[in-house]
Amino acid sequence: MSLQNLLQDWSRYRRGREEGGFHNYEHMWGMSIDLNLCIGCNACSVACYAENNLAVVGKDKYEKHQAMHWMRIERYWDEPDLGEGRVSEYQQHGASFLPMNCQQCNAATCEPVCPVAATYHTPDGLNAQVYNRCIGSRYCSNNCPYRLRYFNFYSYYEDSWPEPLNLQLNPDLSVRDKGVMEKCTFCIQRIRVAKDKAQREHRVLQDGEFTTACAQTCPTSAIVFGDMLKMYDPNSTNPSSKVIELWEKHQVELGVTEQEKHNPKIRGYRVLEHLNTDPCIMFLDRVREV
Amino acid sequence: MLATHLYSAGRALDRGASCSASSLLSSTMSRAVALLVVCALLVFGSSGVFAASNKNPLVPNAVPPEGTYDGEDVKQPIEFPHYIHADVNKINCMYCHTYARRSKVAGIPPTGKCMGCHSVIATDKPRIKKLTEYWEKHEPPPWKKVHDVPDFVHFTHEKHLRRFVFDNKGMKVENVSEVCAFCHGEVKKMTVAHKVKPLNMGFCRRCHEANNGPHDCWKCHK
Repeated sequence: MSLQNLLQDWSRYRRGREEGGFHNYEHMWGMSIDLNLCIGCNACSVACYAENNLAVVGKDKYEKHQAMHWMRIERYWDEPDLGEGRVSEYQQHGASFLPMNCQQCNAATCEPVCPVAATYHTPDGLNAQVYNRCIGSRYCSNNCPYRLRYFNFYSYYEDSWPEPLNLQLNPDLSVRDKGVMEKCTFCIQRIRVAKDKAQREHRVLQDGEFTTACAQTCPTSAIVFGDMLKMYDPNSTNPSSKVIELWEKHQVELGVTEQEKHNPKIRGYRVLEHLNTDPCIMFLDRVREV
Repeated sequence: MLATHLYSAGRALDRGASCSASSLLSSTMSRAVALLVVCALLVFGSSGVFAASNKNPLVPNAVPPEGTYDGEDVKQPIEFPHYIHADVNKINCMYCHTYARRSKVAGIPPTGKCMGCHSVIATDKPRIKKLTEYWEKHEPPPWKKVHDVPDFVHFTHEKHLRRFVFDNKGMKVENVSEVCAFCHGEVKKMTVAHKVKPLNMGFCRRCHEANNGPHDCWKCHK
């Protein structure tokens, strides 16, 4: 079952590279994050905490890199150039933000290393984590080049949601316990609800019908989420989407290790794509000299 | 072809059994045949041929899941007699468990629904008197859950009903209790519902395989 899925998916991906990628996908969810629009407000991160029952671990554990933020804002500073020998850790300007959630790699490095096949690729093109199958070997986390998998070192339930806060928990997905790896799911519970609704009404899922919690919350609409199957498989009957438009506009392609731009002024890249992980999230930022 | 083979094999087994019972003469040949038959039964029995044979004629296009379980008796505040409602009076399961067709959970009816009938029907019975007490206190009877799956399993009644009842050609909605019985047993013959099916992952998986259900882990676990 799952082990079989995993082995099939992996070989299918490797074989599919010559034939043009995965086949028999139902959807392929992707994202576009515009870093020039991102103001680093962390609203996406907070929305993710609320939507996905993420534990609040507290300051001590946060310092030990045990935070459970599926969507984290990485902050980078330009070289400190304050003049007159002044050095400041936090400058007045020159900050850039990089919202990082699971990149949903097509050739995910976390998948083949799981000893119990708790992580695998779904027909939705997502990199799934099955909590009740996970034994907590943390191999996947060590193999993730983005460090976007989070491990439950403790049972956070009682500390994180003391009564009556447990009533805010989202019932559509599990509350993870100690010893389990977890990661961004592209709000799979929302995907399921939307797909079920479309199925009930006997129609295809429309673009923009639903979105992830982070994309919904983003005040500058920097995050765009949608189905990219049409881009991956031109024979697909799924409707085109805003994400595909953006990927095409910025000339970002799937299945390559380096984006060849006709015009160097066109933005758009994928993080660490030279590692051949083939992520499904595109970032928009102009490469500049600092 | 397989069925014919099994049929003849079964007859051979019957004959073999009757032979050994009637006369103590049993040749090595018949023993070999019997062994072969037993092997065939073991091999083909597990491949769903027997599941096909216990198909329910009232539910077309479905292979009922196999498995039994003897759950604990759950003590309910009122011993609700399912058999009077669903069997004797032929009330559809979804009349009371109304959310089953449109949500994840089947739901327990509000006390108002009980009182809709029982403000006039059988008001002198002790169970109804108990119910009326709850009604007058403005409190729902504290019903206990009989069929419970772990929190990491996201079972959806709606999708199963759609597959086996509403989108199932030739299926009559009156017979929905036969579909409910796949997982809940013959509740319409019970007083208080009792867990008679294992409802574990193997039970779910066997049914998904027999009925071409989804194989994706994230369909149920997320």
